[in-house]
Amino acid sequence: MVQKAKKLPRVFDYFHNEDQFAGGLAFCAGCPLELTLRILSKVLGRETVIVGTPSCSAPVLYGQNIGTWHRLPYYSCLMTGVASSATGLVRYYRKIGKDVNVVCFTGDGCAADVGFQPLSGAAERNEPFIYICYDNEGYMNTGIQRSSTTPFGAATTTTPVGVAGRGKGTSAKNLPLIIAMHRVSYVATATLSHTEDFIKKLLKAEEKRKEGFVYIHVFIPCAVGWGIESDSTIQVSRMAVRTNYFPLWEAENGKFRLTHTVATPRPITEYTKLIRKFRHLTEEELARLQEEVNSNFAFLRHLTEFGTSGTPKTG
Amino acid sequence: MKARKSEIKVITGNAAAAYGAMLCRPDVVASYPITPQTEVVEQLSRFHADGILDAEMVEVEGENSAMNIVAAATIAGGRAFTATSSWGLAFMYDAVLQAAGFRAPVVMANVNREMPGILAVSSGQQDMISTRDSGWIQMVVENCQEILDSIIMAFRLAEDIEIQLPVMVNYDGFYLSFLAEAVEIPAREDVDQFLAPLKLQPERSKLDPGRPLGCGTHGILIGFMELRYKHCAALERAKQKLDEIDREFGEFFGRSYGGQIEEYRTEDAEIVVLTSGSATGTARTVIDAKRAEGLKVGLIKLRMFRPFPRERLTRALKGKKAVGVLDRSVCFGWNCGPMYMELRALAPDIGFIPMMSFIDGMANMDITIPHIERAIDDIYAASQGKPYQEVTWIPLEE
Repeated sequence: MVQKAKKLPRVFDYFHNEDQFAGGLAFCAGCPLELTLRILSKVLGRETVIVGTPSCSAPVLYGQNIGTWHRLPYYSCLMTGVASSATGLVRYYRKIGKDVNVVCFTGDGCAADVGFQPLSGAAERNEPFIYICYDNEGYMNTGIQRSSTTPFGAATTTTPVGVAGRGKGTSAKNLPLIIAMHRVSYVATATLSHTEDFIKKLLKAEEKRKEGFVYIHVFIPCAVGWGIESDSTIQVSRMAVRTNYFPLWEAENGKFRLTHTVATPRPITEYTKLIRKFRHLTEEELARLQEEVNSNFAFLRHLTEFGTSGTPKTG
Repeated sequence: MKARKSEIKVITGNAAAAYGAMLCRPDVVASYPITPQTEVVEQLSRFHADGILDAEMVEVEGENSAMNIVAAATIAGGRAFTATSSWGLAFMYDAVLQAAGFRAPVVMANVNREMPGILAVSSGQQDMISTRDSGWIQMVVENCQEILDSIIMAFRLAEDIEIQLPVMVNYDGFYLSFLAEAVEIPAREDVDQFLAPLKLQPERSKLDPGRPLGCGTHGILIGFMELRYKHCAALERAKQKLDEIDREFGEFFGRSYGGQIEEYRTEDAEIVVLTSGSATGTARTVIDAKRAEGLKVGLIKLRMFRPFPRERLTRALKGKKAVGVLDRSVCFGWNCGPMYMELRALAPDIGFIPMMSFIDGMANMDITIPHIERAIDDIYAASQGKPYQEVTWIPLEE
């Protein structure tokens, strides 16, 4: 029976390139990393060099010996060296007049912790490449240890809950804001529940990296590490946006803008109740988390207002 | 063919390193300042500002980034240079290891300075010793001219298709870094010509956009072992390659340094002193004086420490009656000098003659003429069958 072709959903209209990844990648079931990488390759195309580190994405991106799951040129380095290695590549390509998408693809542990210095250095020098940090709020590949983007109260294997332990005792580091304060070419946050928003930001990244450093912070709920069902990672992403826990914004040459506004933010408990790592939190602790969400968002709001009234110039 | 022209300038060892690098036209330079290397970075930045050096200059925020940048730039197909010293070398250690494993043909000047522990802002070779098992090629040079010349040779060696390994050119901090000497600076076109054979070789595989090539895949089992085997084989080849490059350099520029080792009056010598770096000059003076007294003593300058010049040393020392090694660092856990310890491993090849370790020159202790005289006297006594002390910390026994 011949069916009338349906109009495709809008996100597919952005895919002008072939998927560079093989079917059946070695990610955990339900991990949004697979979708992130496929979208990345379909948007940016083959003239892209990926720079990565030991992390959740490494098994797929590195491959083993001479076998791999994708067709993109790939430079794997240590967690301390991702932003600097990308600098070396992009500077040489620039020297010989080659316009290349050099894309760092790494986790929050690398970006916010052990690889932070080179990241900050590359941002300050406004190096012309794209840095994508996928934030699953901890060292998931090594077995769910806390990182500096792990939120307050979250249980991890290094901040376990017990008679004395109450999960992580300090707040998360707001990495995208920190990078934005380097006055780079472009900074954005994204998550896979808002795919079109993510794709638009990738396209903008490709343009903006010609002017200088681009940073995209992608929120990636971890089914295994956070204690959520493998079929609900996208729902958790959506709830993170709806509660303003993970607001979607961008900063172009220092000009801040919310790319998605939430009319009535849901209370944080609607987000935390979906996730086992928050299950032990008391009302007081949840109130602190709510307070953090509110103040972070208020701060961001101020920045967006500042951006429209008097735009700071980038160097 | 001969080099056409050159210019003589009085410059420091650091400036000589910068001149050497500049003449080789690197595509990418990334270097972080540290005493006593700072002037190398400054000089290269000055060359760039003056339009003499057409390279991508990365003003890095630390040595770790510097090494990652230059390694990646070479993997992309470029020529890259960096310089560091002591704690800077330590801070880039993970990237140093990675560069070797990636077979990244980086050239790095390492200005020897004391470490670890007590923060000694002074000369000593312990920094370089701490990376001897990193898989790099390590050279040690004696004077400002040799610094410049060796950096040019190092690019030929590193980028050779049969080698493809990073090369570290070591020179004594303070003694050479800040010492101004007359240095003959070759013309750039001549250096171009000397490096030109690299262009005739098959192209190195490189990370090129649009081509599915991975660098640094997760190597396991036989895949990893094969790469390690090839790495070791390349290091073995580097020994003879340096001899060839050095000879060619000598024919072209009129200066040569013996390749892996330089022998001085060893032919008919009965006893031999082995040195490295700037102390060699002092040792040569002492050898001449002792020869005048009728003592048959010779000198070997160790110019290549990694790979260790096993064959050349064996040939040079076979039939000698005793040998002493002057080290500017220690081998922790063995209580002797590291170069001495390595030489001892050649005892079955050379013959079981008295071998002696002399430790001197740490943290800017001058290795003086009397110190070397004392070492030679001790070696001579041992060669005459007298009982001898294996390890001597010369300045502590004065």
